[in-house]
Amino acid sequence: MELFLEQLPIVLKSLNVGFLQTLKLFAVTLIGALPLGLLISFGTMSRLAPVKTLFKIIIWIVRGTPLMIQLLIIFYFPGLVLGNPIWGGGESGRFAAAAVAFIFNYACYFSEIFRGGIQSIPIGQDEAGLVLGMTKTQIFFRVKLLQMIKRILPPVSNEILTLVKDTSLARIIALQEVIWAGQSFMKGSQGISGAIWPMFFTAFYYLVFNGILTVLLGRLERKMEFFR
Amino acid sequence: MAVLEVEHICKSFGHTEVLKDISFSLEKSQVLSIIGSSGSGKTTLLRCLNFLETPDSGVIKVNGNTLFDGGNANTKQEAAIRENRLHFGMVFQSFNLFPQYTALGNVMLARELQAKKRPDYKANKKQIRAEIQQEAEALLEQMGLKDRMYNYPHQLSGGQCQRVAIARALALKPDILCFDEPTSALDPELTGEVLKVIKGLADQKMTMIIVTHEMAFARDVSNHVIFMDNGYILEQGESRALFENPKEERTRQFLTRFKEN
Amino acid sequence: MKRKVLAMMLIGAMAASMAACGSSSETAESSAAASAAAEETEAASEAAEETEAAESEVEAIKAKGELVVGITDFEPMDYKDADGNWIGFDADLANAFGESLGVTVTFQEIDWDNKILELDGGVIDCVWNGMTLTDEVKSAMETTEAYLNNSQIVVVKADVADQYQDVESLKDLNFAVEAGSAGEEEAVNNELNYTGVQNQAAALMEIASGTADAAIIDSLMAAAMVGEGTSYEDLTYTVALSDEEYGVGCRKGSDLAAALNDFFQASAEDGTMDQIAETYGVQAALIK
Repeated sequence: MELFLEQLPIVLKSLNVGFLQTLKLFAVTLIGALPLGLLISFGTMSRLAPVKTLFKIIIWIVRGTPLMIQLLIIFYFPGLVLGNPIWGGGESGRFAAAAVAFIFNYACYFSEIFRGGIQSIPIGQDEAGLVLGMTKTQIFFRVKLLQMIKRILPPVSNEILTLVKDTSLARIIALQEVIWAGQSFMKGSQGISGAIWPMFFTAFYYLVFNGILTVLLGRLERKMEFFR
Repeated sequence: MAVLEVEHICKSFGHTEVLKDISFSLEKSQVLSIIGSSGSGKTTLLRCLNFLETPDSGVIKVNGNTLFDGGNANTKQEAAIRENRLHFGMVFQSFNLFPQYTALGNVMLARELQAKKRPDYKANKKQIRAEIQQEAEALLEQMGLKDRMYNYPHQLSGGQCQRVAIARALALKPDILCFDEPTSALDPELTGEVLKVIKGLADQKMTMIIVTHEMAFARDVSNHVIFMDNGYILEQGESRALFENPKEERTRQFLTRFKEN
Repeated sequence: MKRKVLAMMLIGAMAASMAACGSSSETAESSAAASAAAEETEAASEAAEETEAAESEVEAIKAKGELVVGITDFEPMDYKDADGNWIGFDADLANAFGESLGVTVTFQEIDWDNKILELDGGVIDCVWNGMTLTDEVKSAMETTEAYLNNSQIVVVKADVADQYQDVESLKDLNFAVEAGSAGEEEAVNNELNYTGVQNQAAALMEIASGTADAAIIDSLMAAAMVGEGTSYEDLTYTVALSDEEYGVGCRKGSDLAAALNDFFQASAEDGTMDQIAETYGVQAALIK
């Protein structure tokens, strides 16, 4: 018990630093992947058949392969095969590579949700906008976007909660997020080794954060209840 | 002079000819009803006038200006179409109100977007918006929705929704207001309130084209009637004459069947 | 071996993405463009190889002012002090080397399994982390001369240690060893029963939790982590199975290894190395 109390501050400090990295990756991914996903969804709904096919294939590859392998390819491929290690070896380079992989991966998942959301809006909404002299862009942003957001909020919330936990995959390229921090005490770090409880502690970080997110997303969903 | 002239409009979906050589004209302040059985091409004709469908050939003129010419690609460009369709207002069978806007918001939206293109918009933003809102409120009041302006579509009955939709179309001051079976989606007891509003517009000399299955209403409100059958205009003429004394056998059959119902 | 598998994976992924480009662009023009692009990439990587061989990597490191050292948390070689700074025999030595070059040293924690990938991918400059000079390491990296002795040593619970003082007595035990490590090699060579685990610390954890009877780990690590005053007070080490040496790994063909050898020799002569070794209690293992 005494030992535990002695180790606790050391462990918590490490886990906090790790979790900050987790949060950073989560936030950057969300900010990047939501708009990119919308663009990709437009690509998959393109009237030009080659464009549509290209985007469908991209989505197939990204959704059909493990994110872990995408991380490895994005981080190591430039230096290993092209002879140009664009990311650099430091912490920031690893973060940038992880962010690119996560944004791209999640954008593809989001895009399919967006496509479903957009296509589920009755054609009558487009027609009503058109006969009122609105442009397609105006119709999308003024009429359809909010209706789409309302429809896709539950599946997107699901993806967001999954994303929080998926960030731990980034440790394959040695991004030191919270699981890495917890694991380091299993391997031995700062005089603590063979300790598995820091790993269990990381679960609380995820749990609390996902709890907060669940409340916030639920609130957003209720905010959308003003129309049907 | 005729407000609307439609000449030789043809339209096919794949191999199915839906409109076959449609021609008619409409005078200012006239009310035209288009009747006929389902699948006869009435709705497609109305959608062609609003450019929701592009005719394969033919000409559409409003106030003597050619808006559409099947032989002239310029009239098929998106920007041109967007400009031209403002001559027509459209009221849909299923209302198609924007659910996230209030009744007032639905009526104001298109006008606000138009106003933003005005060069003096930034300087007089407040005043312009106030004017648009005033006009929208007046329209809703005219539709008998004074106390419903701040309700969202899902809080309104079908009849109220359809009246909001009519106000929304009127807000853009169209030359011709088109109705696509405006009461077909309504419970019978709500039909009356919408028909009353349309009748009121006719009394105010609004030029209108109404696709409808309400034969009694068509007879009472319209000056002119077109009977469509299988993509053709089979018969057209002055309303009372056509209803009471149809020339064609097919028209007579159609009207008889309606009377029986 | 691992390197080959990964390279094949990467090539497979590239082929898949190329195929994707091909099927989406049906015109001859764009497929010509694609093959042109492929040629370019090839040329670029060839060029990169040439420059790698021709140009001095030491000069390049001096130019960018930073030496990125790939490490893991491995007491007493590389580990964090209370303020989160990297210390240890290797870390202090690496800092001294950086000073001699006039560059700052960045310690980057890596996944030990990916150390060759990290080097070849150009994201780190060297692996300096109590690395055993195995044949595999020597063939994949440009390695320095050995600077520290190590042995693979058997760790068991202290209360039964006197029963396991020779190799013969080990046959009945269930071992935990780090997969792919020198310890695993020894387990195979001596025909012991073993399970592969993630790392050496995990192997110790297996004994502590009773899921294994014994482990084979680096003697330097055992000295720091096992016995009185450590995290595993009820464990001890007994038989040394093999002797081996630690060295620093650089990219194949890099002149950094030679520069390091010069540095090792100089710091052995002026006593720096002894001094650092004493700080971390590894002076007995130094190669003079």
